[in-house]
Amino acid sequence: MDTPEQAALREAVRDFCRKQSGPGAWDRLTGELGLTGLAVPECYGGSGAGLAEVAVAVEETGRVLLPAPYLSTALAGAVLGEDGGEPAGGAAAGFLPGIASGALRAAFVFGDSVQVTDGRLAGVARHVLDGAEAGLFVVRAGEALFAVRAADAVVTPAGTLDETRSQATVEFHGAPCARVGCPAGRAEDLLRVLLAVESAGAAAHCLDVTVGYLKTRVQFGRPIGTFQALRHRCADLAVEVTSARSTAYAAVRAAVSSSTGSPASAVSAAAAELAVLGPLAKRHCADVFWHAAAEMIQLHGGIGFTWEHEAHRYLKRAKTSQLLHGTPAELRRLVSQRAGLS
Amino acid sequence: MTDEEFRAEVRGWLAARLASAEFACLAGKGGTGRAHEFVAERMAWERRLGADGWIGLGWPEDDGGRGLPWRRQVIFYEEYARADAPGRVGHIGEQLVAPTLLTFGTPEQKARFLPGIAAGTELWCQGYSEPGAGSDLAGLRTRAALRDGEWHVDGQKIWTSLAHVADWCFLLARTSADAERHRGLSCLLVPVRQPGVEIRPIRQITGTAEFNEVFFDDARTDAGNVAGEPGDGWRVALGMLGVERGVSNLGQLIGFQREFESVLAAARGNGSIADPDIAGRIADAWTGLQVLRFTTEEVLGTAAPDPVAGGAAANVVKLMWTSWHQRLGELAVDVIGPDAMLAGPEYDLSDTQRLFLFSRAETIFGGSNEIQRNIVAERGLGLPRG
Repeated sequence: MDTPEQAALREAVRDFCRKQSGPGAWDRLTGELGLTGLAVPECYGGSGAGLAEVAVAVEETGRVLLPAPYLSTALAGAVLGEDGGEPAGGAAAGFLPGIASGALRAAFVFGDSVQVTDGRLAGVARHVLDGAEAGLFVVRAGEALFAVRAADAVVTPAGTLDETRSQATVEFHGAPCARVGCPAGRAEDLLRVLLAVESAGAAAHCLDVTVGYLKTRVQFGRPIGTFQALRHRCADLAVEVTSARSTAYAAVRAAVSSSTGSPASAVSAAAAELAVLGPLAKRHCADVFWHAAAEMIQLHGGIGFTWEHEAHRYLKRAKTSQLLHGTPAELRRLVSQRAGLS
Repeated sequence: MTDEEFRAEVRGWLAARLASAEFACLAGKGGTGRAHEFVAERMAWERRLGADGWIGLGWPEDDGGRGLPWRRQVIFYEEYARADAPGRVGHIGEQLVAPTLLTFGTPEQKARFLPGIAAGTELWCQGYSEPGAGSDLAGLRTRAALRDGEWHVDGQKIWTSLAHVADWCFLLARTSADAERHRGLSCLLVPVRQPGVEIRPIRQITGTAEFNEVFFDDARTDAGNVAGEPGDGWRVALGMLGVERGVSNLGQLIGFQREFESVLAAARGNGSIADPDIAGRIADAWTGLQVLRFTTEEVLGTAAPDPVAGGAAANVVKLMWTSWHQRLGELAVDVIGPDAMLAGPEYDLSDTQRLFLFSRAETIFGGSNEIQRNIVAERGLGLPRG
C-alpha cells in the first residue's frame, strides 16, 4: 500500500528507530530525517509531503514507543500547514519553520475548559499529551483553534503511568493567541487518526515479539509455540492486528482526502468520513493494542511482568491511548451519533 | 468502458431481470438459511445469467469467459448483493470447479465442462467432507479404483450442498490404498445422476435441508475424469480454496450492510434502540462491519502479502466475517426480543431467525475457525507445528 517514496521513508524511520537512543535522537529525527516537517509546506522549511507520510512515521515510531513528542509536533505541522499561504493571523508563518526544523515542539489542548475572550485565552486543561516539553500549544476554544506560545501559559508537568510520553496540566490566564484555520473538530479527529496508526504499529510489535518468544521458549521439551492453546491466541491477535492496520489506514485516506490540497469535489465527503473514522479507528486500534499488550505479558509468562522487559511499557501506552481523546465508551457513542445510528 | 459504466450495466441488467414476470418471485430468495427455496426458479435464473454472459467473468476469453479484471468481478458481486438477487445454485461450478480445471485440467476437460458451467446448464456439488473426515480431511475413506477404463467409487460424503440439484460432483477420493494420507488422493469428476449414487437430505438447525449425505456404491465415471494427476488430489482440491473467495468475500459485504440496516430498522421500529446496551451493540456491529470491509479490501484487494497476515489473508478474512456475522445474528434476535421465541406454522422462521441460526454454520463450514487459526498460526505467523 505504500508508494515507493513512503516505503523508503518507512525503511529510513525503521532503521533510525532501531538505532536511536539518548538525547540526540530528537535532533536526528528532525534534522537528518526531517520527520516533523513532513506535512509542513516547503515555503516554511518542510518537505510538503502530507498526512500519509506523517502516518508512516507515526506507525514506525509507535512500534518502538519512541520517547519523543513526535506525533503532536508532526500533527501541528499538518494542521498549521493547512493554512498554507494565508497569513491567518500569522500562526502558520510564525510557528511552521520551528516545527519543521525541530526547534519547536507542539502539543494539542482539546476539551471544553478553555475560553477565548478579546483574543486572549483563559482556562485550565489537564492530560495534555506531549505537553511537558511543548513550546507551542494548539488549543481548542469553542469550535475554533488557536496557537499559543508555551511561554504565555503555565505548564505543570505531570508524572505519568506511561513514562515514554509526557503529559502536563496547562493553564492560560489571558494568553495571547493566534487563530488557526483548521476547525477544532477536524484537528482532534486527525489526532485520533494518528493515535490509531501509532496503536496499530505498537500492536504489531507486541505480536511480533510474542510470536518470536513462542518460537524459542521451550517447556515440556518443545517450543511453547507448538501448543494450540497459545497458537490460537496468536492467530486471533493476528486477525485483530491486521484489522487495526487496515482500519487505521482507511482513516488516514479520509484524512488525506479531506485536507486542503485535495480536489475540492472530494473534500466534503472525505471530511464527513473523517468525522466518523477518526473516533472509530482510534477506538478500534487502541482496543486491539490493549489486547495485544495484555496477551504479550500473559504469553511471556513471568518475564513479561518484569520491569526490564518491554512488555509493561506497551501495556501502559495501550491503556493511555485508550483513554486519550475519548475513552472507548465515549467514542462508541460518538461514532453512533456521527454515523446516524441512533 | 469505465468501472462505473460496467457497474451501471450490471445494475441495469439485474433490475430489469428481477422485475420480469419470470424472476420477480426470486428477489431475496435462496440466501442465508434459505437455500431450499425456489430451486427450480433459481436453476432457470442460473441459465439466464449464463445466457447473458454473467458467469465466468474472470475466466480467460479463450476458455469461454470474459477475461474481466478482478475489480469488475467484485463490482458484479456487489451489485448482485445490492439488488438482493437470489442465492446462486451454480457457484460451486463457477468458483471451485472452473478455476481448478483452468489450472489443472486438460484441454479436453475444459472443453467438456466449462461451457456447461458458463451456460448455467450443468450444476456441481463438492464432495470433500465425510462422516469420519471433517477437519481431518486427509483421513477420508471414500475409495476409487480404475477398472476397465472407468473409476469405480465407493464411500460416503456429507455436508454436500446442492447435491440434489447437481449434475456432477467434484469428488476427493482415495485412489491408492497403500499411500499415506495426503498422497494417494485424487480429484474425480463424477456424474451424480446414476444408479450408484444415492442422496439423502440432512435436516438442519433451521428445520430446512440445505446439505445432503451422498452415498457412492460402485458409482462410475470415465477414466479421463480426474482433475490433475491421479494421486495429486490433495494439492488440486485445496489449491483453489480461497483463490476465488476473495471476489465473493468482497461482494458479500454489501449483503452484510443490508442485513445490518434491517437490524437497525427493527431496533428503531420497536424502540429497542433506546436501550443503551442495544444501542452500543448496534454501534459495535456497524464498527465491526467497517473494520471488516477495510480489512477485506486491503488484504484481498492487493497482490502483495499482508505484513501481518502473510500468506493467510483469506483465513484472516474468514475468521473475521464469520464471527461478525454470528454476532449480528445474535444482536438481531435480541433486538426483536420475546417474539423471536415464536415460529410460524410448520416451523416457518423469519429472516432474523434464519440469520441467527444459520450463522452458526459459518464458523464450521469451509474449514472450521479452529482450522483457520491453525493455518494463520502456521502460514501467517510461522509458528512451529506440534
